[in-house]
Amino acid sequence: MSSLYKQFRLALKGQSGELLGNVFSPSNPDMTSFAFSTNHALVRKNVEYELGNIATLRNEKSRTAWVEAFCGLWKVAYTLEREEEDGAWQRAYEGQRETMQAIVRGYQSGQWSCWTLPVMYTACKYLRTIAIKSDEDRKRRGLKAEDLEDAARHINRAFTLCISDRAPLEESRKWGTYYIVNLLFKTYFKLNAITLSKNILRALHATTGDMPALKDFPKSHIVTFKYYVGVISFLEEDYTKAEENLTAAFYLCHRDAIRNQELILTYLIPTHLLTTHTLPTPALLARYPRLQTLFAPLCTTIKSGNLRAFDAALSNGEAEFVKRRIYLTLERGRDIAMRNLFRKVYILGDKNTRIPVRTFQVAMGCAVDGEGGERVEVEVEEVECLLAGLVYKGLIKGYISREKQMVVLSGSKAFPGTGV
Amino acid sequence: MSTPPWRTVNSVPYTNGTPRNGAFTPVNARKNLSSAPRQVYGFGQTTQPQIQASVPPQPAQKTTFPDKLKQYVARTFEDCPPESKADVEVELKRIITDAFNEKVVWSLEWDKMPLPQEILATKRIADRKEKEESKTKTVSVQVSNGLRSSPKLDTGESRVPNATSDEISAVTSRFDDRFDKRARHDQSTYPSTADKLSQREKEKRAKRFEDSNNRVSPPHPSTPIDNDKPLIGTCEKLEKQYFRLTSAPDPQHVRPLHVLEKTLELLKKKWRTESNYSYICDQFKSLRQDLTVQHIKTDFTVLVYEIHARIALEKGDLGEYNQCQTQLYSLYSEGFKGHEEEFKAYRILYLLHTCNRADMNDLLANLTPTDKQDKSVQHALQVRSVLAAGNFHRFFKLYLEAPKMGGYLMDSFIARERMSAMCTICKAYRPDIDIRFLTEELGFESDTECVQFLCDNGAQDLIEQKSDDKGVPRTIRFQTTKALSLFEDMKRAAFKKVDIKGQL
Repeated sequence: MSSLYKQFRLALKGQSGELLGNVFSPSNPDMTSFAFSTNHALVRKNVEYELGNIATLRNEKSRTAWVEAFCGLWKVAYTLEREEEDGAWQRAYEGQRETMQAIVRGYQSGQWSCWTLPVMYTACKYLRTIAIKSDEDRKRRGLKAEDLEDAARHINRAFTLCISDRAPLEESRKWGTYYIVNLLFKTYFKLNAITLSKNILRALHATTGDMPALKDFPKSHIVTFKYYVGVISFLEEDYTKAEENLTAAFYLCHRDAIRNQELILTYLIPTHLLTTHTLPTPALLARYPRLQTLFAPLCTTIKSGNLRAFDAALSNGEAEFVKRRIYLTLERGRDIAMRNLFRKVYILGDKNTRIPVRTFQVAMGCAVDGEGGERVEVEVEEVECLLAGLVYKGLIKGYISREKQMVVLSGSKAFPGTGV
Repeated sequence: MSTPPWRTVNSVPYTNGTPRNGAFTPVNARKNLSSAPRQVYGFGQTTQPQIQASVPPQPAQKTTFPDKLKQYVARTFEDCPPESKADVEVELKRIITDAFNEKVVWSLEWDKMPLPQEILATKRIADRKEKEESKTKTVSVQVSNGLRSSPKLDTGESRVPNATSDEISAVTSRFDDRFDKRARHDQSTYPSTADKLSQREKEKRAKRFEDSNNRVSPPHPSTPIDNDKPLIGTCEKLEKQYFRLTSAPDPQHVRPLHVLEKTLELLKKKWRTESNYSYICDQFKSLRQDLTVQHIKTDFTVLVYEIHARIALEKGDLGEYNQCQTQLYSLYSEGFKGHEEEFKAYRILYLLHTCNRADMNDLLANLTPTDKQDKSVQHALQVRSVLAAGNFHRFFKLYLEAPKMGGYLMDSFIARERMSAMCTICKAYRPDIDIRFLTEELGFESDTECVQFLCDNGAQDLIEQKSDDKGVPRTIRFQTTKALSLFEDMKRAAFKKVDIKGQL
C-alpha cells in the first residue's frame, strides 16, 4: 500500500486541507511509490479497495469522485515516472485533467466540504503547469499547442464552482474564489489573452453582494489579486487605478517575497513616472538587482535631462521593456526628462520668468548631443511644439508668446511638483 | 365557405389548379436529387379535393361501373366495323379512364355520350382541318366551349348531375378538345392511351426540369463535402461578381489558378484605366473567394491581397484593407513571400489609427532588426514615437513625406491628431496666434484651408484681422485662449470613434 493513501486517510480524519492538497500534488515525494503500486488494468480496482473501508466516505458519489481523482493522479504519476518518449507530457496532462474533472464532480454532486478546497487549488495549479510543459513539448515537435487553452477552460469551471456556491459563508467555496481567479489571470496572461481577464473581473464585480470582503481573504490571495488588477489597469492606461492596486499589493506583500515585490515594482515604477512624475530612489532599486539593471539607466537620464542618453537607454532596454509591456509607458518618461532639462535652464537663468525660446533651443541642442558628438540643432518650431506639449500636460506653468519668441513662466511653481 | 374552392387550392401542398388536361404541368422547385418521384407526386389525385366537393353521389371507390356506362360500352361494340375495332377499343378505354380519373363516371350521361367511333371520326375531320388551316387555333377555339378556358367549370362548381343538353355538348366538346390536343401531339410517337400519355408527358416535363435544375444547383448538398480535397474550378470567365456563398461552392463557378492570374492582370489594367472602385473591390472579393475555396495559398495569393489592400487604402476603405491585412499577416507568418515590411509599416499606422496599444506592443516585440532597416517601417515607427511624444511639429512633417501608401493610412487619423494639436496650441500660446503658423504647423496646404478648418469647427468668431498703424491689413490672428474649450470637446469626440470592423 502506497503511503499516499495513508496521508489521504490522515488528512480526511484531521480535516487538514493542506495535507489533502499535498496528496494530490504531483511533486509529492510519495508519487514514485504510488506510480509503481499498480498498473493500468488494476488501478481503479486498487484505488477502490484502498478507499473502500474509509468510514468518512460513506457518500457513494463522493467516494466515486475521490476514486476517479486518484485514478487520474496515478496516470500523471505513472507517466512522469516511467515515460520518456514523445507525448509523455500530453498523457500526463490528460491524467491531470481527469483528476480535475473528478474533483469538479466531487464538489458538484459529492458534497465535498469547503475545507478540502486546497485539493482544487493543487489540481488547478498543476493542470496549468503540466499544460504549459505539454504545449512546449508540442511546439518543439512542430505541433499545435492547445492544452493551456483547455486548462484555462477547466480552471474557469472551478471559478464558477467557487463563486456560485450558495452554502453559508463559513463553509462556502466562495473562499476559494480569489485563489482560482489569480490562477486564471496568470493563465490568461501566459496565453496573451488578457482581455479575458476582464470577463472575470466583471463576474466578480457582479457578485460582490454576498461575497466576503476582499480583506478577509488570505493575504497571499489579496496580494496576487491586487497585482493583477493593477497590471490590467496599467495596460488599459488607467494609471490611477493601477497605482492604487499596485501600491496596496506592494505594501501587503510578504517582505521575503523579493520576486513578487520585483514584479509589482516593474509596473509600479513606470506608473509613478506618469502619475506623480517621480523616480525610484537609488535605495529602493538597490534592494532589487534585477530592477536596478532594468530601470537605473533610464532613471539617471531622466533625472539629468540628457535626452540623447535617455533615447539610448530606452532603445537599449527596448526588448526587455516590450516583453514586460512597459515600453509604451516608459517612453513617456521623455517628457519628464525634458521638463527637468528646461527646469535647469530656468534655474541657471536665475529664475527669470521670461526666457527666450532660443535659450531652450540651445539647451535642447546640448541635450540631444552625445558625449563629445556634434551638436544637433533642433528647429525652433519643434522646441516650441515640445514646450507647448509640456504646458498642455501641466508639467510647466506658463505660456509661449510667439511674436516675442518668449516663454513666459508662472511666477510661482513654474515646474509643479519639483519645488521650483 | 368563405373562400371559393379554387382559392383554397393553393394551400394544398403539391396540388395545383388545372393540370389534368395537360395545359401545364406544375413543378415544385426541386430541393433534392434523391427524391425524383416527388416531381410527379400528386398528379394522380391532383384535383381530388375540389371535385369531391362538387360531385354529390360519390360511390364506393372500387371499380364499379354505372349501368349507363355498361350500356354505352355495349352500344359501342354493337355497331363497330371489325376493321376499326382495335382503334375503337383503345379510344373507349381512353374515354373511360379519363372519366374515372376526372371522377365524372357517375355524373356523365353515358346514354347521350357520342360513341368512340364517332369521336374518332370527328378527330379525323379535325385533323384534316388543322392541316388545312396550317395549325391555326381555329379548331380548339371552335370546339372548346370555354370549358378549358374557364377554370370555374373545371373545378366543377356548375357541374350538375342531371345535365342539360348544353352540358352534354360541353362535355363532349371537352373530350373533343382534348382530342384535338392529342391530335396535335399525334405527330410525335405517343400512343393514344390518354392517361398513359399524359402521365408520360408529365414525367418527361418533370425530367426536363430536373435537368435544368441540375445545371444550376450545387452538388448534392446532403452528401458530405470532402473538405480535405480542395476543389478545382472550371470556370473560364475572367470576371465574376462577388457573391457571399451560403453553401458549398460549385466548381463551374470557380475560376482555376491560371484564369485567376489573368484576372488579376485584367483588374490591374482596369484599375489604371477606369478607377471604378466599387467594381474593382467587388471583383477582388470574388477573386479572393475563389482563392480561398480552392485552398490556393501561394505567393500569388499574397500578391492578390497586397494589391487589393493598396487599392483599398487609396480609397480609404479601411474595413476592406483590414481584412486583407489580417490575411496577409497569417500568410507572411506561414512563410509566403511578398512585401512584408511595407505591410508591417501599414500595420503600425493602422494600429495608431485604432489606438490599439496591446497589439502595438506585440508588434514591437516581434519586429526584427531587418524590419527596422526598412524605410517604410522606420517612417511608421517615427510616426508612432512622435505621436507618443505629442510632437505634432514632426508628425505633420512625417505626414507630408510618408512613403508608399502610408499617407492614405495617415489620412485616417490626421484630422484627429490635428484636433489634439489644436488643443495644445490653444493652451500654450497666448494671447493669440498667426494663422500662418497654424497652416505650417498643422500641415494645411494654404491659409485659406486653415481658415476653412477653423470655420468648419465653429471657431469663425475667434479669427480677426489685424492691421498695422497705417491701416494696411497685416496678419490674420486666431484667439487661442478662447478656443481651448471648443477644441477640447472636439478632440474628445474625435478620439471616441475608432474603427473596429474586422479587427485583427
